[in-house]
Amino acid sequence: MASVSPEKTKWMRGPSTPLRGALLGLLLERPGHGGDLANRLAARLGETWRVDTNDVYRLLEQLEKTGLAVSRDEPKRNNHRRTHLVYYPTEETSEALTLWMETLLPREPVRLGLQAKLSVAREEDAHRLIEALKAYERECLMLAQLVSPTDGRSRSWTALCMECTRDAVYAQLQIEIDWATRTRRRINEHLEHQR
Amino acid sequence: MAPLLSFLNVSKRYPDGDRDILVLDRVSLDIDFGVSVGVYGTRRSGKSTLLRLAAGIVLPDSGAISFEGRDITRMAGGERGRLLRGKIAFMSAADWRANPGESVVDHVAMSLGSEGLTMREARRRAMHVLDCVEVGAAGAQEPTTSLSLTERGRVMLARALAREPRLLVLDEPALFPNLSDRDRFYAMLRLTTQERNMALLVASEEMPALQGLGVLMSIADGELVSTEARGTVVPLPLRRRAGAERSGP
Repeated sequence: MASVSPEKTKWMRGPSTPLRGALLGLLLERPGHGGDLANRLAARLGETWRVDTNDVYRLLEQLEKTGLAVSRDEPKRNNHRRTHLVYYPTEETSEALTLWMETLLPREPVRLGLQAKLSVAREEDAHRLIEALKAYERECLMLAQLVSPTDGRSRSWTALCMECTRDAVYAQLQIEIDWATRTRRRINEHLEHQR
Repeated sequence: MAPLLSFLNVSKRYPDGDRDILVLDRVSLDIDFGVSVGVYGTRRSGKSTLLRLAAGIVLPDSGAISFEGRDITRMAGGERGRLLRGKIAFMSAADWRANPGESVVDHVAMSLGSEGLTMREARRRAMHVLDCVEVGAAGAQEPTTSLSLTERGRVMLARALAREPRLLVLDEPALFPNLSDRDRFYAMLRLTTQERNMALLVASEEMPALQGLGVLMSIADGELVSTEARGTVVPLPLRRRAGAERSGP
């Protein structure tokens, strides 16, 4: 990623970054009010994510403050006497989404950030996703390198527990790498099919 | 100084019915002397092809592979064969062959046959290396046909180590009936190669088999991702897949 002003990546701080990024993607697809965006987010990310509508409202307000979304008070469809805030993308939203697609993953939470990107990625983001998936694989390999090896000789209970813990880390990392490589394969196959 | 092993834009295809499958796609990497590298990949990911190319068993369709600065793709078959039998050792559990009537020590000693040693000298060296992989004097006299899976792994490792190669290439090196045998084998492998300053390239479908190695890589669809320890393994970032554009990192 080319050098980017810190001001433009300020919104990417904190654990809610994946949700903020996903909201930007949804806004670019079509504007919506908080409840609508929360529903679309929940439908897109699946049941493993718990999308709290209040969180969505809070994140939309944050995005508006940073200039990545803008809201207008508009009449409700089914009750024109009442209004609600409908959020729209700004001129900066698309660039912000692109920057997010290109950012390396923070250490935690790992896969969630990628999953959020995948849920709203545009076809033009395919290569950015591939690079993000590779970076994720690299991160998993580096974490695997941090696990201290065993010599398989100790028969103590403590050693057994440590080996089980070590195995849990390897099992998780192996699943993550398999998922990332499979996802890259799907994207590559799609790109080749499109040619 | 040139790296011990170097791949530059190495590609390999295999026929699959009426079309070709791209198994390795412009892979570039360097492995230095004494470095240990683990390659993780699922079945049909390209890891066995990568290792067989590294060992000089198969040749690439394009790109260059250098060992100690010499391009092995340009060597005559005999010269490459001598290299494979000397400075590079390859081991895979799938290659295990037991010979009826042959003892373990003779099985290891026979691998030294072309080094100009007498059988007595070859057996002495075989006994020494068997001892290093924890096969004792009694085990050395066992017939190869009676070995357990764990013992086979150790004997194959002894056979690979006997020639004191510079590079040891192991593709799913052994099958183990239990996890502690597996961990002990890999601990022994790390130790024996470290002591000999031997470079090690191991591929496995199991991450725990790669524990404690200096550099880890994953391979999928013939493309490598590496932890990129500087000065050891350096995958070049830009690769292109059969005409499809891929951006660099």
